[in-house]
Amino acid sequence: MIAPPPGPLAGLRVLELSGLLGHYCGKLFADLGADVVLVEPPDGTPLRREPPFTGEGDRSESIPFLYMNTNKRSLCLDLDQPGDAATLRELAWRADLVIESERPGVQERRGLGWAALSSRRPGLVLTSITPFGQDGPYAGLDGDDLIASALGGLLYLGGYAGGEPIRPAGEQAVLAAGLFGAVAAMLALTHAELTGQGQHVDVSMMEAVVMGLENAAQLYDLEGVVRHRNGGVQRLAGTGVFACADGLVCLLATGFGGTQHWTKLVAWLEAETGTELPRFRDPRWSRTEFLLTGAAKAEFSEFFAGFCATRAQRDLYHRAQSWRVPLCPVAAPRDVMSDEQLIFRGYFAEVTGADGSGLKMPGAPYRLSRTPWSIRRPAPRLGEHSGEVLAEITPGVAS
Amino acid sequence: MSSLSGLRVADFCWVGAGSFATKILADAGADVIKIESQASLDGLRLAAPFAGGVRGVNRSGYFADRNSSKRSITINLKTVEGRELAQRLVAVSDVITNNFTPGVMERFGLGYDAVREVNPQAIYLAMSMQGDDGPARDYLGYGITIGALTGFQYLTGAPGRVPIGTNTNYPDHIPNPAHAAFAVLAALRHRRRTGEGQYIDLAQTESTIAVLGPAMIEAALALTDGADEPARPGDAGGPVANAHRWRAPHGVYQCAGEDRWVAVSVHDEGQWSALREVLRLEPGALEPGWDTMAGRHRDRERLDELIAAAVRDRDARAVTSALLGAGVPCAPVQDAREVVADPQLAWRGHWARPPHAEMGESLYNMPPYRLSATPVTIRSAAPRLGQHTEEICRDVLGLADAEIERLRAGGVLS
Repeated sequence: MIAPPPGPLAGLRVLELSGLLGHYCGKLFADLGADVVLVEPPDGTPLRREPPFTGEGDRSESIPFLYMNTNKRSLCLDLDQPGDAATLRELAWRADLVIESERPGVQERRGLGWAALSSRRPGLVLTSITPFGQDGPYAGLDGDDLIASALGGLLYLGGYAGGEPIRPAGEQAVLAAGLFGAVAAMLALTHAELTGQGQHVDVSMMEAVVMGLENAAQLYDLEGVVRHRNGGVQRLAGTGVFACADGLVCLLATGFGGTQHWTKLVAWLEAETGTELPRFRDPRWSRTEFLLTGAAKAEFSEFFAGFCATRAQRDLYHRAQSWRVPLCPVAAPRDVMSDEQLIFRGYFAEVTGADGSGLKMPGAPYRLSRTPWSIRRPAPRLGEHSGEVLAEITPGVAS
Repeated sequence: MSSLSGLRVADFCWVGAGSFATKILADAGADVIKIESQASLDGLRLAAPFAGGVRGVNRSGYFADRNSSKRSITINLKTVEGRELAQRLVAVSDVITNNFTPGVMERFGLGYDAVREVNPQAIYLAMSMQGDDGPARDYLGYGITIGALTGFQYLTGAPGRVPIGTNTNYPDHIPNPAHAAFAVLAALRHRRRTGEGQYIDLAQTESTIAVLGPAMIEAALALTDGADEPARPGDAGGPVANAHRWRAPHGVYQCAGEDRWVAVSVHDEGQWSALREVLRLEPGALEPGWDTMAGRHRDRERLDELIAAAVRDRDARAVTSALLGAGVPCAPVQDAREVVADPQLAWRGHWARPPHAEMGESLYNMPPYRLSATPVTIRSAAPRLGQHTEEICRDVLGLADAEIERLRAGGVLS
C-alpha cells in the first residue's frame, strides 16, 4: 500500500490529555496529519468504556472510542503522580499544542497549568475545553452533553410541539465543543507559527451550543418573541415530513428561496401525475400568509401525502431533485451507509480494529486537494506507544 | 492583534453554513469581503427577525449575527464587467469561499481552475451540499434537508413517533461552518510552509455525517451481522428522546409554571443517593436493584415517572439549586430569553451589541472561545448591502473614482 501524502498538519506535535471534550478536537488534528499523543490514565481514557461496543468479550472495543481516536498514539501516564506530571511537562515543552478538558484548576494543582507548561515553551498553545469556560459563576460546575444543551438553549428548541424538550442525537454539545476547540486552537497555532507567541485558548461547551440557536436569540432580542419547539407540525404548506411507501421524506419547497421551489414542485407534480394542477398555480400559494393557514396546509398535505403514499423514498428523492425540488429522504443510518452518492465519492473509511476485523466509519469531512485527510492508523490500544513516545524525550535517544 | 490580520477572504457564500464559516475568520481578524448583489440577494437578508419588526435588507438579526466583522461589496455577476471585477478580486485574495452547487462559480469565470491560473497560492473553499462529483452533485438542499439526508433527523425524536431532528437547520450552524473553518486554517498552514494553495471540497452532507460517527459505525456493523430488516422509526437504533445509552436517571422533568423543565444527568451512585434525598423519593417506591446504574437504566421509565412526580409542583430554579447544592448535575432547560440573560454568558462576554447604522444595537454571538494573546472580537456589525463597495473598489481593486462612477452608472456595482 502506498503511504498517503502527508496532511497539512504534518509535523505538528499535539498532546491530548484524556477527557471526553478533547477527543474530537484531537481527531481533527490527527486526521490531517498532526502527531497526536493521547495521554491516558492507567485505567484508560473513560471513552474506552462507553457503549456501544464492537461485539462481546475481551476484544470488543468501544465504538465511540474507535471513531474519536483514529490516527492517535497512546501514552499511559498517571498525571496525579508528580513523576508522571514531570514527564508530561517535558513532553509539553517539545509540543506545539496541548489539549486538556479538566475542570478549571485541576491542571494547575498538578503543575500542568498554563504558567508551568509555557514557562519553557513560550510558543506553546494550550487549549482548554470545558463545560462553561475557565471563569464565571458556572466554571466550577459539572456539565455534560445534556446539561450544556439545556443551559445553552438548544434543548428547549428540540422536541414535539407541546411535548418535552428533546436533545439532538449523538452528543452534539460535546462534539461542538471539540469542533470549535479545534478551530480556536488552529487560530492560536497560526499566530504562534507566525510570531513565536503561544497562548491559552479557553473554549466553552455551553457557548458552543449557543452557536446552534439559529435565530432564536435575535428573535427575542429584536422582536421580543420566545421561540418554542415545533417538531411534528407542518409549519407552512409545501414544507414538512411526509410518509411514502417505505419511509419518510422531508420537503422544503416554501419558506426559502422565494417562490422558485414551489413553482418547480408544481411542475414536477404535474409531470409525474400527468395532470394539470391549476389550483396549485394560483398566486395565493406564493403568499406566506396563505401558506400558514390551516386550509392551505390541509389542501397541500392531502394531495402530497396521497402522491407520496405509493412511491418509494429513493424514487421520490431522485425524481424531485431532477426537477430541482429540495426534497430528501429522512434517512436512517443504514440508508446513509448505503447512499449511492457517498459510495461513489468513497466517503467511508475502512479501519482495521485491534482484532483484525474491518470497521466502516465516516471519512473525510473535507477534501483538501494537495494534502488529503487520511486514516494512517486505527485508534491505539492503551499505552501502545508509551515506549516510543518516552524514548523521544530520553536524553541520548535519537528521535 | 488578531490571529488572521492581513488575510483577505473573497466570500461568495450566502445563506447558512457558508456565512457562518467566514464569520469565524472575520471575527478572528481576516478582512472578509462579502460579494453580494441586489439582483440575487442573500436570502438571509430577508429572514426574520427584523430590527423593530420592520422587514428590510439591512434589518435582519439572523443575517447580522452570521456576518459580523465583514465588508460588503455589490457586484452584478450577470454583467461582463462585474465578472471581471470579481476575477480581479479573487486574484488578490488569500482565500476564496462559496457554498453554491458545483458549476455556478465556473459559469462566472470564478471556478478553481480560473482562479489558480491567476492566483496559484489561493485557498479555495467550495461548500456544496453533496460535493463536486457523483450522481447527486447537482442536488440542492438546506440545513433541514441535509439533516434529513444524513440521519440526523431520523436519530432525533421520540421512539415510535415521526422523527423531528433539532427543529433547526443544525448542520448550518455548527458542524459545517466549524469543519470548513478548520480546513481553511489547515490549508493556510500548508501554504505558509510550502507556498502552495489548494482546493477544498467540503460536501455539507459528509461534514454532517462526521458528527454522527458512532451511530453510522453501529449501523454498518448491524448490516454486516445480517440484521437486514428495514430499520424504521420506533425500531432499535431509532430515536430515543433523552434516554442515555447506559446512565439513568437522565432526562428532562416538567416543573411548575408554563413549559418549565429541569434537566438531570446522574453519573454515579453518590449523585443518585443525593438526588433521592433532595427530591425525598419514598424509599418504598424504590426497587433494591436501583442501587446500581444497570438496574436504574433497566427501569428508567418508572424512575422517570417518580422524578417527574417529585418535581411537578416545584419551581425549576429552586429544584436546580437544591440538586446542585447536593452535587447532582442538573440545569434548567433555558429558553432564548433566559439564554440571552444568562449570568455565565454575560460574565464571559458571549453576547456583543455592536452599533449598526440601520438596526441600532442588536445581539450577536461572540465565537465560543477566548484567546489570551489574540482575542477574537466582533469588530463591526454586519455590513449593509454594498456598504463598502466604493472603498473596496478604490483600496483593494485600485479603481479611480471616475471608473467607479462609470461602473455604478452602468449597473455593474449593484
